[in-house]
Amino acid sequence: MTTNPDQTKPTAPPIAITAAKEPSTLDVSVGPQHPGSGHLRMLMRVDGDYIVSVDPDIGYVHRGCEKIAEYRTAVSNIPHLERPCIIDAIHLNWGYVLPIEELQGIVVPPRGQYISTIAAEMNRIMSHLYWLAINAGVFSGHTTIFMYAFGDRDLFIELAEMLTGARLTYSFLPPGGPRRDLPAEFQDRLLKLLDYFERRLVEYDRIFFSNPLVIARAKGIGTLKRDEAIKLGMTGPVLRGSGVKYDVRKVEPYGAYADLDFEIPVFEEGDSYARFLVRFEEMKQSIKIIRQALEKMPKGPIARKAPLIIPEGEAIGRVESSRGELTYMVKGDNSDKPSRVKIMNGSFRSLIALPYLIRNVHVADMPIIYGSLDYWPVEADR
Amino acid sequence: MATQSPTREEDLVNKLKARFPDAIKDSKIEGKHRITIHFDKDKLLEIARYMRDELGFDHVKGVAGVDDPTHKKIEVLYFTGSFSRPEIEDLIVVLQAELPRDNPTIASAVSVWESTHFHERETFEMFGVKFEGHPDLRKLLTLDNWEGPPPMLKDIKFPEMGQR
Repeated sequence: MTTNPDQTKPTAPPIAITAAKEPSTLDVSVGPQHPGSGHLRMLMRVDGDYIVSVDPDIGYVHRGCEKIAEYRTAVSNIPHLERPCIIDAIHLNWGYVLPIEELQGIVVPPRGQYISTIAAEMNRIMSHLYWLAINAGVFSGHTTIFMYAFGDRDLFIELAEMLTGARLTYSFLPPGGPRRDLPAEFQDRLLKLLDYFERRLVEYDRIFFSNPLVIARAKGIGTLKRDEAIKLGMTGPVLRGSGVKYDVRKVEPYGAYADLDFEIPVFEEGDSYARFLVRFEEMKQSIKIIRQALEKMPKGPIARKAPLIIPEGEAIGRVESSRGELTYMVKGDNSDKPSRVKIMNGSFRSLIALPYLIRNVHVADMPIIYGSLDYWPVEADR
Repeated sequence: MATQSPTREEDLVNKLKARFPDAIKDSKIEGKHRITIHFDKDKLLEIARYMRDELGFDHVKGVAGVDDPTHKKIEVLYFTGSFSRPEIEDLIVVLQAELPRDNPTIASAVSVWESTHFHERETFEMFGVKFEGHPDLRKLLTLDNWEGPPPMLKDIKFPEMGQR
């Protein structure tokens, strides 16, 4: 044994908050009770109604996903590795499978790529609706949008169940392609739902995104400038809300995205409201993508048979998940189990924004900023 | 037959090799979007600064440790990318350093890439890699009362989960 146990001892006291302790400051522990999106604790130092600094204390839902993945076979890792963010399961699944397919030299047939793309965009809408209901709606005290978004999300979940057989944890994309072809009547029901959802988005705009109360609470709060977002390595809607046009679907197209025509919504302001709007516009783009994919869907096989072993070597695959770029590094050693799986997800990357943004703001602004990041503690902890 | 002009990836690797002839040990171009650079761990900060300021790799997507007990080494991988330069935004350049397993120590890249802050904390905790100069190198994910070696090392086995 060459390891030194002392290495894991904390080098600083357990409660270390960056700003100095003053007679007027007070330390408050927020969480780790479930704030609507998983367990997270923030050690806040407040001065009156102002937050001086915040120290995120994460790990309450850490399960050692990367370690466990080394014990499971490549295929049985699929249901395991989508658990960190069950509301975004297709993307967590797809990102893990891409490097394995690359190592195995498997190319998914075009029809399979289109089905995966449709499932992924449905998942993006579902995930953004969850964010809208909880992280935007409930955290800003807007319970009406919570009811609207959660109700509509269930309609998508029902269709996802029709396609994959499960409501949330689909395990739909093993190496080689999706498990099932589109069921009968699925296309008609999905198109009907998209028409309905497009009308609902107009109402969402009216009751939430154009609501003066929401604008007053979110606009100008938690501003992350463009160069700061780049420096901190933000990703996904947080990055695009700060004026950086970066989306893996365009930068390094996977699935059927290269054939489809869609826009990447970008807002320059960088505040919480801009991040709200990015997700709102992304839902509209997802509708557009699904409609096109259904129309252009080629005929033919959906999947190829993939070997059960992961050949020797390492590969990096990435997808644009609902919380931004999701990168997997998979190392194989010619056995059926990966020798290393590294997950780099949007939530863990936006963790650094918590101490950076929740600083010199009112205590009441903290939930808005936290909600606008769409930080998912379980995904970050893994 | 005329020699082909170097591709964008070859050009990047050549630039790095010309600038750091001793520190770059090996390089590998995989596919269209991936480059792996093996470098001497003592030169991390110089290479990182050059990559950020001259080549435009402005952020790190993650820092990974890979334990290799048979060769008695721990590898540290920096996954770097660029947001600000559209011509290289699809690339992931992996900077890879080998550290001795009995004393894994490397300079912290936080002063160059602030985005490595929490990734280095995680790698410190999971692999015991000491990042010298990190402003806040504390445990992050495991329980406060976790005792023992860093959990991601291959020494730590869970027989109940199947032999590995």
